[in-house]
Amino acid sequence: MTLGSHLTPLARSHIEQADVVFAALSNGVVEMWLERMHPDVRSLQPYYKPGKSRMKTYREWVQVMMTEVRAGKRVCGVFYGHPGIFAWSPHKVIEVARAEGFEAHMEPGISAEDCLYADLGIDPGRFGCQHFEASQLLFYERRIDPAGYLVLWQVALTGDWSLGRLETGPAYRQVLVELLNRDYPLDHELIIYRGATLPIEKPCVRRIALRDLPHVPLTAEETVVLPPATPLKPNSVIRDRLNALDKLYGTSTLA
Amino acid sequence: MPDTIELLEAIGKDASLRHASADELAAALGEAQASEALITAAATGDKEQLAVELGHRQCDPPQVSQGPGHEEEPDQEDGDDTPQRSPAPDRDPSSTKR
Repeated sequence: MTLGSHLTPLARSHIEQADVVFAALSNGVVEMWLERMHPDVRSLQPYYKPGKSRMKTYREWVQVMMTEVRAGKRVCGVFYGHPGIFAWSPHKVIEVARAEGFEAHMEPGISAEDCLYADLGIDPGRFGCQHFEASQLLFYERRIDPAGYLVLWQVALTGDWSLGRLETGPAYRQVLVELLNRDYPLDHELIIYRGATLPIEKPCVRRIALRDLPHVPLTAEETVVLPPATPLKPNSVIRDRLNALDKLYGTSTLA
Repeated sequence: MPDTIELLEAIGKDASLRHASADELAAALGEAQASEALITAAATGDKEQLAVELGHRQCDPPQVSQGPGHEEEPDQEDGDDTPQRSPAPDRDPSSTKR
């Protein structure tokens, strides 16, 4: 999300018409911009504390927003990027509000994923595209398809069970590299991406080999993209079935 | 001197400025009598002076993890690794309190 560029007219209208606005933004300048739109913007940042589980913080965010909802206020929560992507509390607060009989909904925003496709020239429909939080790949048995794009979020926090850290470190990322090496060669080029937050910035794009991932500086806002490593493999069995159907029904549009 | 936040918003909204080169952007900001801090940030990428001008307000990246973790307060509902049913779409407003 870029300041000035990526706030939809409808989202801005919600902000301006709210009684109270809660803000969970990744940049202090963006927070100051939001404060120009409404006289009562309450930052959710102070709920973060070093070493405190982020899930505890996010539950507190839900509670503080619901307190105002229950008081009869029209409440708007403003979250960086898309409020429903890698964001627990916006989904939760809507669920809680609806369960208590209040009207609540989410407006989509322009996320880092949207900016990534534009800035890197990637079309997720070309080869397919999987998205995972990096830690989830380590905590669970997942199936990676190296014929498509693989987008890994929050790689800087790879393997963090505590939810209290903003980075883990090279040893944790080495575990991720070894997992990825099952499907990708160590010299496979990957992209480290960060979109522009201020409109005077350019996107940050770095290209490195997979083997170097543990050893490069990485922030929580950066995303790792692995381009396809193998060509798409034709599925001859299914193609034969489809060809048989074409012969049976013809290739004209079915009614 | 024009307001820096308003200038940033104006750049973000302007197709001719948003993707202008650093030199073009710095020149445009100079003409607009922007602060030296903003001109320097646009020209060189160095945002240190801009941070000073705007008060060094730091933010942690929000919502940086969705994954499971060891928490000080176990929460059965939210700690469940099983995908949950999608929430219902917006209800009929007539059935809600507001």
